[in-house]
Amino acid sequence: MTGSNTPRANSMTGKWVKRWPLRPLSTVILLVLAAVAAASSLITQNVIADQERLILREQTAEVAAVVGSAFAGAQSSLQLLGEIARSDQDRPQLFANAARAVTTASTQGWLVTTQSGTSLRVTAAAGNGPVVGQALSSDQGTLARRALSAKGLVSGLVRDGRTLRLAFALGEAAGPGTVVWQESAISPTTPTPTGPTSPWHSLNIAIYLSDHPDPSALVVTTTKDLPLAGVQYPFRVGADTWLIVASSPKSLVGSLGQDMPWIVLGFGAVTAVLMTAVLETLGRRRDYASALVEERTASLQSAIAEREAAQANLSRQENMAAIGQLAATVGHELRNPLAVVMNVLYLMKVGSEAAANDPIHRHLATAEREISAATLIVSDLLDYAAGRGPILAPVEICDLVAEALSVAPPPDGVQVVQRGEPQVVDVDRDQIRQALLNLITNGYDSMPGGGVLTVSTTSVPGSAQITVTDTGMGMDEETRDSIFTPFFTKKTRGIGLGLAVTKRVVEAHGGTIAVQSMPAAGSSFTLTLPVLASMVSAPQ
Amino acid sequence: MNGASELNGPAVLVVDDEAGMRDTLVAILEHHGYRVWSAPDGETAFSAVQERAFDVLVMDIQLPGRDGVSVLEEMGRPPPRVILMTAYAAEDRLRAAADAYVFAVLSKPFELRRMLSLVAQASRDKK
Repeated sequence: MTGSNTPRANSMTGKWVKRWPLRPLSTVILLVLAAVAAASSLITQNVIADQERLILREQTAEVAAVVGSAFAGAQSSLQLLGEIARSDQDRPQLFANAARAVTTASTQGWLVTTQSGTSLRVTAAAGNGPVVGQALSSDQGTLARRALSAKGLVSGLVRDGRTLRLAFALGEAAGPGTVVWQESAISPTTPTPTGPTSPWHSLNIAIYLSDHPDPSALVVTTTKDLPLAGVQYPFRVGADTWLIVASSPKSLVGSLGQDMPWIVLGFGAVTAVLMTAVLETLGRRRDYASALVEERTASLQSAIAEREAAQANLSRQENMAAIGQLAATVGHELRNPLAVVMNVLYLMKVGSEAAANDPIHRHLATAEREISAATLIVSDLLDYAAGRGPILAPVEICDLVAEALSVAPPPDGVQVVQRGEPQVVDVDRDQIRQALLNLITNGYDSMPGGGVLTVSTTSVPGSAQITVTDTGMGMDEETRDSIFTPFFTKKTRGIGLGLAVTKRVVEAHGGTIAVQSMPAAGSSFTLTLPVLASMVSAPQ
Repeated sequence: MNGASELNGPAVLVVDDEAGMRDTLVAILEHHGYRVWSAPDGETAFSAVQERAFDVLVMDIQLPGRDGVSVLEEMGRPPPRVILMTAYAAEDRLRAAADAYVFAVLSKPFELRRMLSLVAQASRDKK
């Protein structure tokens, strides 16, 4: 299962990385700015909500103050009516007249009750309510007892059959044991809408005759949707605590305030996007500029390096030219003396009357071989310093091999074997002879303890091959890779130009040179030369 | 040995300004039965060629005074076979001379065996 999950997760990550167009810094900035915008929006929302609550509370307090002052008026009316009832106990008509004068609604009723023993009875009445002599209901009795003990204005709801009345009662207002009342029928479950001119017409208000929103204590409401979720504002009415609950169905701070969090969020989002775009653009420009600078720097550096290399090459070429000139002069001056000594050795050999087994012949052969080696070094040096293109002419290569072998007779202990059929090849005789001499003397040098040197010529289609094989010490791979490098040598004598010149000569003929060698297993060099002169594009 | 072939061997003129080279070449050729004359410079060589008919000329290309090529250019007919010796790498002038007059070119230092075989070949062709 994990095996199948991992590649999919990887491919999804890869897709995400491929699609995401922003650089990491821009991404971080975008996220931070978006977070700031969201936080600002939330803060604004909270501030607006606080403001809303504050305004609601203020307006609710105003409502409470207005309601409270209206009830304060009721208290002074009851006080006044109490005074009238006290002074005119026997003339309830006077009370009734006075009560009618302060009546503001038809449902209002006024009365005075007097305690007599444990019972209470109506001693004066006016308006719409109980009549004189009527016994009080249990609700009224409870309220009256509370009014007498509180010695101030108390309020309560009085159920009278189907009618619910809101009653205010002021104890002792018409003398000891008396209570002066005002009652008015109310219908609390029927909403009483606030008029459009009211300063609070935008509020939903419910007033309870209690310190908590008890439905049975509801006095008045402007809406049916109770209970209200809003500000609760308790206030005093006489000795009691009433409660106003107010909520605002519409925003109190206006539509702009309502929209402000979204405006802040939108503005913040736009700012975040713009800032990110600007940063991304600047970042990309900087990246582009620095990439450009890097590129230019790199090309400048490579130009400098090229120029340095060219200068080094030039000075090396100048050095080589100087060395070449010197080598040509020295080599040329050495050629004649070497040739003369060679001639003298020849004359000594042919003129010697010593017996064939006389050591003098061995010494002469050694001298001849050494002069030949010296001559070869001079030739290689001259050829390396001022190599010329081959001058081709038909040459029989077996004859050429024999000539080379005769020039460099083998040292003691080395046996020479020549094999192959005669064949004619277009070559530069001097150059190929020099190449062969290099291979032959190298072969001799690799067999200090003696061995067999085999030179064989074979014909392959279009080419002739000359292979020089020795049974000497051989070469490791590292040496084999370096033998054609000029001035590379592992021999105690020689200047390391032989194989470099040989390779150049063979390649100038359009041929190749190959080497096979293993340490302690001898070496084998094979020259392959094209038979036809037309196959060679010799440098002139 | 020299004396035995002296009278009837092919006539060879060796021209070289280096005395050592000249003398050893004369000795070697005489050893091989040729009648050998020698000249140290181009002028002498030219006079010798005018005086006597040679079968083969073995001549260094670089000579004091008149050089080998100039001698070749003025040589009368029938010209001898010419083997030119040079210590230099091939030059354009040498190539031109080789094409026009020369039987063979030998680069110094050369193998005596090859020199002898060329001289033998040249004198044989001449007859």
